[in-house]
Amino acid sequence: MIVYKTFLKVLNKCKFPIILYSAILLFFAGINMSSNDNTMDFTAEKPNIAVINNDKEEGITKSFLEYLHENTNIKDIKNDEQEIKDALFYREIQYIVYIPEGFSDSFLDGKNPQLEIKSTGEYQSELADMIVERYIKVAKRYRGSTDSDEELFEKIDETLSKKADVEIISKMDTKTITRLTRYFNFSAYSFIAISIYVISTILFIFKSEKINRRTIVGSIDYKKVNAKLLIANSGFCFIIWAIYFICARILIGEVAFSTYGIYFAINSLIFVICTVTLGFFVSHFVKSRNTITALINIIGLGSSFLCGVFVPMEYLPEGVLKIAHVLPAYWFVKNNELIGSTEVFSGDVIKSLVINAAVIIGFTIVFFVGSNIVTKKKMKAE
Amino acid sequence: MFFHNFKYTLKALLRNKGLIFWTLAFPLIMALFFNMAFSNIEKQDKFKAINVAVVTNEYYENNTMLKETFELLSDENNKDRVFDSKYVNQDEAKELLEEEKIDGYVVFSEDSQQIIVNKNGVNQTILKFVVEEIVQAEDTADIIQEKVENIFNSREENGIMETLKSIIILLQNNSANIKDNSDANLSYMTIEFFTLVAMTCLYGGILGAVAINWCLANMSNVGKRLSMTPVSKLKMVISGTLAGYLIQLVGVALLFIFTIGILKIDFGNKTFEMVVLALVGSFAGLTMGVAVTAAIKTSENAKTGILIGFTMLGCFFAGMMGVSMKYLIDKSVPIINKLNPANMITDGFYSLYYYDTLDRFYGNICGLCIFSAIMLAIAIVSLRKQKYESI
Repeated sequence: MIVYKTFLKVLNKCKFPIILYSAILLFFAGINMSSNDNTMDFTAEKPNIAVINNDKEEGITKSFLEYLHENTNIKDIKNDEQEIKDALFYREIQYIVYIPEGFSDSFLDGKNPQLEIKSTGEYQSELADMIVERYIKVAKRYRGSTDSDEELFEKIDETLSKKADVEIISKMDTKTITRLTRYFNFSAYSFIAISIYVISTILFIFKSEKINRRTIVGSIDYKKVNAKLLIANSGFCFIIWAIYFICARILIGEVAFSTYGIYFAINSLIFVICTVTLGFFVSHFVKSRNTITALINIIGLGSSFLCGVFVPMEYLPEGVLKIAHVLPAYWFVKNNELIGSTEVFSGDVIKSLVINAAVIIGFTIVFFVGSNIVTKKKMKAE
Repeated sequence: MFFHNFKYTLKALLRNKGLIFWTLAFPLIMALFFNMAFSNIEKQDKFKAINVAVVTNEYYENNTMLKETFELLSDENNKDRVFDSKYVNQDEAKELLEEEKIDGYVVFSEDSQQIIVNKNGVNQTILKFVVEEIVQAEDTADIIQEKVENIFNSREENGIMETLKSIIILLQNNSANIKDNSDANLSYMTIEFFTLVAMTCLYGGILGAVAINWCLANMSNVGKRLSMTPVSKLKMVISGTLAGYLIQLVGVALLFIFTIGILKIDFGNKTFEMVVLALVGSFAGLTMGVAVTAAIKTSENAKTGILIGFTMLGCFFAGMMGVSMKYLIDKSVPIINKLNPANMITDGFYSLYYYDTLDRFYGNICGLCIFSAIMLAIAIVSLRKQKYESI
């Protein structure tokens, strides 16, 4: 009992970092929550743009603006060069249209007035470009063929409102599943950081020279102490895992308890066991309390940046992913991505899942054996 | 005595492995991680041809306009290329979509066009848009025809050459007159690296803090001995912090060499202003470290903790953990970032990178100078008051 008591005492001292690493996870889960629509009908993406209109709001300009309102999200940005530049840089908008003075009159006169634009060159801005160009093209075609301006605008409108049918064949609720995938991916960072922090701190204290010597001469068998420490640490990490799973249910919803949720949960449980052994392994190299923070940052942040925890795997360069193969977090994230993108858990999918999980278990064994070897060497040295 | 203390502080600081890790090595490691993780993000965002498929049914095969349009839009040599198209039958198209090799496919028939996708998104919208455009072009074909006929009918008045010319102008003049004025240097991921420089500048404060602790009688035995010596305290403090400043500048210089030289991150081309900003930024970090050590009476670890905590919080608001955070704060609670030294440094680099004028840059430099002056004032006031009756 004395071992568990001391464990809890030390754990109590660790509470601030534990809360911090968990808070980061929940914070990111919260950020991802904002877009929560489950419509299964096709909705056209609307690019975010800004319009700086120096013309009067009449004639073709008015009709053009109405069209833009319908097909894009026009963000309300002050007509201030600095604000506009910032909005484009930070991608609040992807595209800016500057309508020059006298645009409408000039256009209706049969001229070809110039529109200035600024774009980020990304997908949304490409779409915005098409939207703008299309209006001008159609307007030009009808120009001069109608009796009045009103008729011209009507004709343009009529043509532009011709839509093509779009059908979505996938019935999967991709958005929530993606969020759940991101959540579990991100949890890898929290698991690694907490495991290393807690286990290293506790073992550092228990193994510090004086305490260790007292334990060895004490009436309690030191092997028992070690076993109890293992149970306590594993138990603690299991509790953290359970809490994160419940948080997933609260933050992301029902889907956490669906088939997907179960697969995610099993995968993360296997990963947690791996981080526990990783924590034990790493703790042998801790020389001072300061080293613990350094190790967490290198191992935790390193795994997270390289394995697609912070930045989705699809965005990572090939070379980085190759290097990441040597890290357990890579296989954990790979499994999460596979679970998240699967519609039917067929034999093939399950086989891949099991293979990835086996790699994680392999790492667990390596860390476990490695820990024992180091312990043995240390004991001999003493 | 000044040089003596400078030299030994320098030596002592360099021997402190933990300190050197956090101030010199950690920023480099982070830069490497950032580069590995973020280098591809922007490339992925850049528009590339979208993978689609067209079902080659009888209607499509017989419709030359449709075929030519799709081939033109998918032509690798066309600089306005939109699609990377595959021409397959219905079952193959469905399979490709299920395997996510394409974003969607189109089935054309006499009276409808069906687009099949597997999710909502920009690529899918672009596909829909282009198909609509093709349909709308058909819609306006008769208008063009009518216009051509009108011009053609007046051939007797205008002469055949003039008429032909008008027709050619009419057909050619179908494009929109749009001038692309986009700025260069739109890479928002560089902000991450700017925040890293800011972090390095401010982490330097820990060096200043440790150096000052050695001058304080209530913090260290060295401090007790130094307080007994007949040397002016100002000399001690200045030589000690100067040693810290030197290491800090080495750290920032290493980071610049590593990010610009090896990782090839684009910081813009205003080198002189960048160096000024790094010097001023590091000085702000140093004064912050000195002020915290001098004014707050607690253990050395707690002081370091305060400095790291404050720096990380500042970097968080300056966009280190997500670039949009900086924009959010700049827009909604600008006062936080106006007072935040991490953001002043980041914003300074941002303005050098993105803006043509230097107004914003000078604003940030002024802000950092004011911040340093306040920190220095706090440090001087608290350092000169210190007298110990007993320790």
